[in-house]
Amino acid sequence: MSADPIYLLQLTLNGVTLGLLYALIAVGLALIFGVLEIINFAHGELLMVGAYAMAFALPAFGLLYWPALVVAVLASAIAGWVLYELFLSKLKLGELERSILITLALSIIILHVVQLLFTASPRIVDTQFGFEGVEIGAIRITWTRVIGAGSAAVAFALLFLVLKFTQFGRAMRAIAQNREAALMVGIRPKTVARNAVVLATALCGLAGAALAPVHLVQPGMGQFLIFKAFALVIIGGLGNIPGAIAAAILLGLVESWVGGFFQIVWQEAAVFVLMMGVLFLRPDGLFKRGAMRVG
Amino acid sequence: MIVVAGAVLAGILPLVTESNYFIGIGVSACIFTVAAVALNLVYGFTGLLSFAQLGFWGIGGYATSLTVMTFGGNFWMGLVWAAVINAAVALAVGYPTLRTNRHAFVIVTLAFALLVTLIARDWVDLTRGPLGIPGLPAPSLFGFAFRTTASFYYIAWAFAVLAIGFLYALCSSRIGRTLIAIKQNEPLVRAQGISPMPYKLAAFAIGAAVTGMAGGIYAFHLKIIDPLFLDFYYMQAFLIMVIIGGAGSFWGVVAAGIVMSALPEVLRFSNELRMIIYGVILLVAMLAMPDGVAGWMRERKLMRMRAALR
Repeated sequence: MSADPIYLLQLTLNGVTLGLLYALIAVGLALIFGVLEIINFAHGELLMVGAYAMAFALPAFGLLYWPALVVAVLASAIAGWVLYELFLSKLKLGELERSILITLALSIIILHVVQLLFTASPRIVDTQFGFEGVEIGAIRITWTRVIGAGSAAVAFALLFLVLKFTQFGRAMRAIAQNREAALMVGIRPKTVARNAVVLATALCGLAGAALAPVHLVQPGMGQFLIFKAFALVIIGGLGNIPGAIAAAILLGLVESWVGGFFQIVWQEAAVFVLMMGVLFLRPDGLFKRGAMRVG
Repeated sequence: MIVVAGAVLAGILPLVTESNYFIGIGVSACIFTVAAVALNLVYGFTGLLSFAQLGFWGIGGYATSLTVMTFGGNFWMGLVWAAVINAAVALAVGYPTLRTNRHAFVIVTLAFALLVTLIARDWVDLTRGPLGIPGLPAPSLFGFAFRTTASFYYIAWAFAVLAIGFLYALCSSRIGRTLIAIKQNEPLVRAQGISPMPYKLAAFAIGAAVTGMAGGIYAFHLKIIDPLFLDFYYMQAFLIMVIIGGAGSFWGVVAAGIVMSALPEVLRFSNELRMIIYGVILLVAMLAMPDGVAGWMRERKLMRMRAALR
């Protein structure tokens, strides 16, 4: 296939919109890892909960997009809060294997409970925008994708401001960078950890809600996305938020380009090839700069 | 003593019952227990939480099946190939991954397992994709074909006895003690002039080879291989066996392997409910007794000794 510039541009735009949604998931993982030093295996299932909340809220609001989005984000954030209070708060620092196995067990339970309640069959989610889109010349993108990518970009801007300028966010960075010093100046690790989990799961719910009209909604949807997000936080450097965003957009682009020119197998394999390559060359990830930083 | 008696008792299972159903459970129990013990070598002894075992299980199954069905070899050659390919893949994946930290190791091994699933599903020319390869023939040795479930049980049993014996010898040798030392205090091991890397790589590769052979035998027990062979259910089952038995406790994991293979057959629920129950078992075990039943018993013994001293 010849490299038609319009086709290439279309692939690039698709890649960026996809990458921004990947970034929402990866940033949540990076945030939780930075503050709690836990790899949250249940993150994908929280995303799926957000997508299901969107799928059920949309008909209830007469297909209105924004109220349903708010409901989905709240649903995921509440689920994250409950998981933190019940399970994650019981973990001590340095219990890596235990944290992994607990979140893995939670992910399996949530996945199969949803499958038992709503069956494994995929749902198609319709919104007020339907399949309408914006057209710029010969390039066409559906509104749901544009809004999804737009909300992700706005969410990152807000996250940056929160982490940089509010006490709420500064406390998170302090804990991630130097736990003892943060304790000495009177920051409560449990409160900050809870805030970080709720914030991360809210972002994850936003990703789920934004993906619901673009993808099919099914119980297993979180699993494949979460594997990609894991690879992204590895590529970006564990706990590094800008690194995760950069890696996510990079992956979105690579997947979109590879998918446009090669067989679908290569699109799926791209993320693993990328990850193994990065690990060979730079075992700490591309953007390793110490603990969680934003600017 | 108990172990030898147990192994002999397990060996006469086909003489006790005629039921193919029970013997089938026995075959699964032998194979799953070996896979769990191999995971115990990697996770329990060396302290590397590896999800790659699922990938090795699948590669083993496919390598053995393809040797027989596509490349015209026999079952035994297939098992050798399964072990050799897995050991080579484990070295290739293990070397860059073990240089990183423990977090990255977990994630990369998980990604590897998923990659194997994708290859099994999407490399249709080799693996025949989602359709899988049905009709795997019964293995034969010196003209005797292991056609019935009862005769196949002896393959699984012999394999289990050999593999568990080999792994026990390994775990209780100087190498095994070095692995435990690496898990408990790696800087101290380095200070003693021992490089941990070759030991970790060796444990990872040996675990992979044994898991691969177990996968190969299990595929021929099912008589079909398809991408469902890489279902996360298997990884979860191995993990639960290791955790309930107590990571790092050799015979605890063997016992848990046998019990936990039989249990899902007794509790015949729908697939979803079974996975939920497994998840809850894993969650409760991690919250209540992180060292497994063996660890819990060790704790109680210590408590009693302390009480006696008082």
